[in-house]
Amino acid sequence: MKSKKANSQSNIILNFFSSVKLAITLFILLAITSIIGTVLPQGETLQFYLENFGPTWFKIIKSLQLYDTYHSWWYLSLLGLFSINLIVCTIRRLPYTIRLYNKDSLQLSKDDLLRRPLKKQWKVKNDDNTAVPKIISIFSSIRGKLRTKHDVDGGELRLIEKGRWNYWGVYMIHVSILVIFSGAVFGSFSGFKGRIMLLEGETTNQAMKMAPNGNIKKIPLPFSIKCNKFRVEFYPNGAPKLFQSDLTIIKNGKEVKKKSIVVNDPLTYEGITFYQSSYQSLPSVKVKIISPDGKQRLLQISAFDKAIWPETGMVIGLIKYIPNVHGSPAARIYIGDPSGNGDALWLLKNHWKEYRIGDKVFRLDMVEGGEKYMTGLQVKKDPGVWIVWLGCTLLILGFGVVFWVGHERYWLWIGRNNNGLQVILAGQTNKNRVSFEKHFRKIEQEIQDSLGET
Amino acid sequence: MHITSSYLLSITTFFYLGAAAIYLIYWIFRLDKVGILATVTTIAGFCIETAGILLRWKESYELGYGHAPLSNLYESLIFFSWVTILVYLVLEFKTKNKVIGAFATPFACLAMAYASFSPNVQDSIQPLIPALQSNWLLAHVITCFLGYASFAVACGFGIMYLIRGNSKGDGLLGALPSRRVLDELMHQTIIFGFLWLTVGIITGAVWANQAWGTYWSWDPKETWSLITWFIYATALHARFVRGWAGKKIAYLSIIGFISVVFTYFGVNFLLSGLHSYGSS
Repeated sequence: MKSKKANSQSNIILNFFSSVKLAITLFILLAITSIIGTVLPQGETLQFYLENFGPTWFKIIKSLQLYDTYHSWWYLSLLGLFSINLIVCTIRRLPYTIRLYNKDSLQLSKDDLLRRPLKKQWKVKNDDNTAVPKIISIFSSIRGKLRTKHDVDGGELRLIEKGRWNYWGVYMIHVSILVIFSGAVFGSFSGFKGRIMLLEGETTNQAMKMAPNGNIKKIPLPFSIKCNKFRVEFYPNGAPKLFQSDLTIIKNGKEVKKKSIVVNDPLTYEGITFYQSSYQSLPSVKVKIISPDGKQRLLQISAFDKAIWPETGMVIGLIKYIPNVHGSPAARIYIGDPSGNGDALWLLKNHWKEYRIGDKVFRLDMVEGGEKYMTGLQVKKDPGVWIVWLGCTLLILGFGVVFWVGHERYWLWIGRNNNGLQVILAGQTNKNRVSFEKHFRKIEQEIQDSLGET
Repeated sequence: MHITSSYLLSITTFFYLGAAAIYLIYWIFRLDKVGILATVTTIAGFCIETAGILLRWKESYELGYGHAPLSNLYESLIFFSWVTILVYLVLEFKTKNKVIGAFATPFACLAMAYASFSPNVQDSIQPLIPALQSNWLLAHVITCFLGYASFAVACGFGIMYLIRGNSKGDGLLGALPSRRVLDELMHQTIIFGFLWLTVGIITGAVWANQAWGTYWSWDPKETWSLITWFIYATALHARFVRGWAGKKIAYLSIIGFISVVFTYFGVNFLLSGLHSYGSS
């Protein structure tokens, strides 16, 4: 008794998870809740929501994680439930589909044929034995696999069948969605996403990732990447035409790959892909320094950056760059010694300037000034993407099968008795009934005509 | 005079307007000659529009840009009406029922009129910005719009289904195909549209992965296409639930098309995101 009860309970649960009603409920819930993230700004700081929506809404936004709707616990739960629904549905329907697929359409009686949706019956009184071969040859012209069974209600039954595997189309679609989900989950656990900002001429071996709390996380790369040059071009109307970075991959001190990337054409090396995503132009100057003992050095300094002359311990930074002061570029630079003392001074292009540290005199000149580009790269490793593409291919193929392939069956029964010849033509399909019926009527007409001749 | 693509495309608007009116007259009076005139007008408009699209393509090469006319709102509206008429003409040919035209051609006419006369829509040929310079542009736009156009026609079937009721006889409503036929046509059109919407979403994902490194980033346009997908998924599964067939599916086919329209315009005008270039 007890086990029976438990059994029926587990059946209730199974029925719940495999029901089409649950699927529909989930579709509707997902459709409605998905709207939230398109209306409410996503990925802002908590402070932003408090300021813009007030304390009451803030509480709701925070507890339901509406600042990141599509990764919130409840949204992911809906997707999880959706997956369970798909899995249980698929497994439960399997025996039914296998039965349908394995069903032998030749195991029919004469009367069964007359119950098909499309059928035609002829009775020929005086046939001269030429009609039967003609009818069979007309019937055999139908595309598909032909099988024959003798002794069916005193006659011969022929079957032409095609597209039986159509029953698996829906499975392909359902399984493909699970494949896509698993690819996305696998990718999110085994890959990473980050950004790199790289000045022309600069090299790096790490990407940056902004964590939701605003902290920046460093992701080390198994090789170095160098930006040799960045180019930007515009159309005459001012719209951007081209963003291009010339990149080099360096591994163990050797150049292993070179490529110019543009927006739709990224570079991939060892499963890590670099995408052109943004750029900045930064002022950058070249300063020549001569130390008191006559040593010379050319230092390149860019905004937000400093250059060090290791031998003397001098540090130089760029504070401000003005492209044109009385016809010549000017730069305000910071100069400091190893002890941390420093000063700011103006340099004009091609004008030597002296700077004293104690009794030592350094001479400085800006030999070059201009803009330098910094390319913004999106960096990604996603080993799951191929699983996603596999799922997508399966999905499209599944739709193709569901939409275009029908399980089409034509039957022909020919029998003889005292009254003469009896012929039955029958047909059935589960797709595109209109065009199937048209074809059926055509075959029917051909048989009719051949009988008319005799 | 020098014929431009804009000229041909504005003429098309009037042809489709005429076709819609003639289909309506055909529906009321059911004169065979009127029906033939409606079909001829539609086909003529379709040919002029095809010529207009091809000419615009050529013009873009003359301007030195050289890209298929599928890159902004104006061009996508033109393409939408073109595919809608194409899907409709195929259906008219297959079903031999011209009354459907009174419910399908208005969508194409509205899209053309909006493209030609709205001050929000720029009809100048623009060069392609770097993000759009991809072979996936063609595949993505064509597949999406095959889906959108099918859904427009399915919406027409939904409206027909609802207004038809169970009336019999020779009245206006009796001239519509039977509910059983409408239900079947609606279902077939929704599957067809759903197939192309799915392929459209997938080509978009492949393209996004190539351009930005993410195949899905929950950008409003992506999300709304998914919402549309869920609505039609509901419509397709509703058949298997007792008591859900027929009327509910007709409502879903209308709601689904409203979602399509929002995915198409609403997102461009009301929400911001990666697809913003579609708005000018």
